[in-house]
Amino acid sequence: MRTIEIFLAAVILFVAFAVASYFAILPSPRLVSSPNLRELALSTLETLDVDGELSRTVFASSSDPSWASLQVALTSSLPPNIVYNLSVYDIVTSSDGVVTYSLVRSISDSPSDLGVGSQASSQIVTSSNVTFTANPQKIGEGSGKNITLYILNCNDANGWWITGYTAQSLAADLYKLLSPYFQRTVLVNSTSQLGTILNNTALQGERLQDAVVINTFGEAVPIPAGYYTTQGYDGSSYAKYAYILGQRVNTYNWTWVSIVGYPLYYVTNTVTFASTQNTYGVYGMRNVGPAGFNAFLRGLDSQSYSYNGNWITGSPGLVQFTWNASFYSNYYGIYPSPYQTSTRALPTSILSTYHLSVPANSYIFQVVNNWIAGATFNHMVTNQIRGSFTAIGLTRIPDIRITALGLLQHYRPIIYKSEFGTSGTSRFVVLQLAQQGGT
Amino acid sequence: MAGVTIDHLVALTLLLSVLMLSIGAYSQIIGAAVIQQQNHHIAMKAYDLANTILLSPGYPLGWGQGNSTPSAFGLQDPDVGGYSVSPFSLQRLVSSSQAQVYYPKTGQWYSNNSLGGGGSLLVPIINAVNYTTAAKLLGVNGSYGFQLTVMETLNVSISEVTLNPLRLRVFVRGPGLILSGATLKYFLYHAVPQGGQYPSIETFSGTTQTDSTGSAVLEFLSVDGSQNAYSAVVYASLGGLSGVGYRSRETSGNNKVIPFIEDFENRIVLLAHSYDVHSYGPPVAALHFNATFFLLTQNFGLREIQLTESAGLVRSGKLNYGEGYPYFRLQIPTEGEGILVVAYRWGNNYGMVMMPWGVSALGFSITFGGNPSSADWVATEIRQVTVNGIAYQVKLAVWSTKGQQIWRYKP
Repeated sequence: MRTIEIFLAAVILFVAFAVASYFAILPSPRLVSSPNLRELALSTLETLDVDGELSRTVFASSSDPSWASLQVALTSSLPPNIVYNLSVYDIVTSSDGVVTYSLVRSISDSPSDLGVGSQASSQIVTSSNVTFTANPQKIGEGSGKNITLYILNCNDANGWWITGYTAQSLAADLYKLLSPYFQRTVLVNSTSQLGTILNNTALQGERLQDAVVINTFGEAVPIPAGYYTTQGYDGSSYAKYAYILGQRVNTYNWTWVSIVGYPLYYVTNTVTFASTQNTYGVYGMRNVGPAGFNAFLRGLDSQSYSYNGNWITGSPGLVQFTWNASFYSNYYGIYPSPYQTSTRALPTSILSTYHLSVPANSYIFQVVNNWIAGATFNHMVTNQIRGSFTAIGLTRIPDIRITALGLLQHYRPIIYKSEFGTSGTSRFVVLQLAQQGGT
Repeated sequence: MAGVTIDHLVALTLLLSVLMLSIGAYSQIIGAAVIQQQNHHIAMKAYDLANTILLSPGYPLGWGQGNSTPSAFGLQDPDVGGYSVSPFSLQRLVSSSQAQVYYPKTGQWYSNNSLGGGGSLLVPIINAVNYTTAAKLLGVNGSYGFQLTVMETLNVSISEVTLNPLRLRVFVRGPGLILSGATLKYFLYHAVPQGGQYPSIETFSGTTQTDSTGSAVLEFLSVDGSQNAYSAVVYASLGGLSGVGYRSRETSGNNKVIPFIEDFENRIVLLAHSYDVHSYGPPVAALHFNATFFLLTQNFGLREIQLTESAGLVRSGKLNYGEGYPYFRLQIPTEGEGILVVAYRWGNNYGMVMMPWGVSALGFSITFGGNPSSADWVATEIRQVTVNGIAYQVKLAVWSTKGQQIWRYKP
């Protein structure tokens, strides 16, 4: 009796084993580690396009011999046990924005479909006959103002705290970086020309009102001979010239840009100050000290002139980009280091003292202990901007990319980019690979 | 009573037998499943390692052109990106396919990354990156072994048809097919007497195409290949696929100039007499040499760049062997890839050696890493890459160094 019971138990066990074996199907060893055909396909496409040959071929006519060369190259480069199918699709965008892919040509070394074990990679290639452009909006275009960019490039002035550069080389770099964003860019090639624009006269018929003026001379500022050296001198200091500059910035609604260090710390004119040095042995320059920038702020705020030699900047040390600076760094493709050292940051107290405000997008560096290391300040009169200045209070040597970024994130011109997937400009290439013999 | 006992005994025996059989059968299924899982894990590791090695440049980015050990391992060319490998990072790897070479005059061992046939690449072990270091940087030391093989995709072979005038047959083929209609750019460097004891180099170059059999004949009517020495370099391109091959012939016998890389960062190369490196028999002679560097330009042109001659750096000299005769130093004049060609002479015997600065200039291959022959199971990844425009195939073999233990006792 028990033998029969055990026999029945054995039958149940064997049935259970048979059922378990039926469902426990293990993958074949080949499936465990079949060659990674997807990556092989992708790397093959990249290899064939390394000098643009694939891009040229897929846009060539069907009778072009480059197709035969591509087929030979494909067959030659892949291991003999790998078969392929390369398909090229045209990307067509209809007027209502629907994107479709139409087969242009297919080449293969397999007489039939590659089967379910095949793997594929794809790549979008662009025509060499198409130029993809990024056209920046001109600053002020949206508000109907043709804003002019003045870059001080005076040949009769010396720079300070621009060690390793000359003002002229910085001017050339700034011209390359910023001129696409402005209607007119004018290089101010002498202190005399600077005097001309300070006197409200255009140099090349450009619009003077609302202009941006970049001082590339670091902590020094060029001073024109004549009126400005006489009226800009209070009997003991040229701080009054900075005061006049502040007044001009207010009157013409300019944006004055200081690229590094303490703004307006020296005045420079290699002719007028040929025998005067800045106390560090650089001739053609005269020390003004902190009084220069204090006077500038008073001039900008339409306060009366008074000499104030108090040092107002601070040294917060390491400063970091704001979120806005990081965002616009990517947007405009300008990549200075997001970490900088600041030793000439302006205090937040000047905001109330001189009726200034900084728009949220205009902070380049995060405010550290009430020190503003880099920003564009707007001078406000009854909610109207009457003059602005950008101050980059970093230590030397200047990175003019920060100046460019600061201005761009303040004005935020739009960049119009041509679309990558527009009809006729791009084609979609799919390389499908399979192992001979299947999997 | 006896019948019941016998019934119990038979039943128990039958039950135990069936249980044993079932346990054995299930164990086989479970064991196979565990092995499959382990193998799958190794395959995934191979995929990860291939991505890390080929799609990241390592750190510092230009570690291939420095002497320090990188703090992250990767071979991608930082200037190009994608599936592009730096020729200089490859150059700094210790080859696992050839025996190392000892040079007594510097007291150092060198990795032999040479391909033979007149091409030489000997890199100092002290400044090269070895397998253990790479495995540690990749985080697989002690758990996985790997072997990286970077081989030129195209095989550009050159053979002599006639020596006077010199006619060379070039044959181009890939792993899957011969390359018909491929464009060939060729350069021939012929060592000739300069006046005095020093040789100079005469350069010939041209362009042609392979025929339907994948071959082409290069003719140099003014060159007698049986005289002096020559080196030929041929770059082949078709449909975006490019390769390079070379061939040399010399008459200098046992006396050769052997270049050793001394310093990757400052691009210093030592020139040694072969007698000080190998145990060749007589005759042994001093060699007058003349070195030239050819920069590899875009579209595979070779442009001569003058070598510096100052502060202990030379471009020509008399190289002797034995005690009291030191080696010479020269400096590769640019940071770009190219070929150092050293022509040398003793009497009317000439020789020539080429050393690539960046492995792809002469299509050198690299085998780097451990030996998978004793591994239980090996996963392989294959990728196509370019090395400064030359097409290469990379094979990465990965295996577990912990064995295939299904059950492990842990006290």
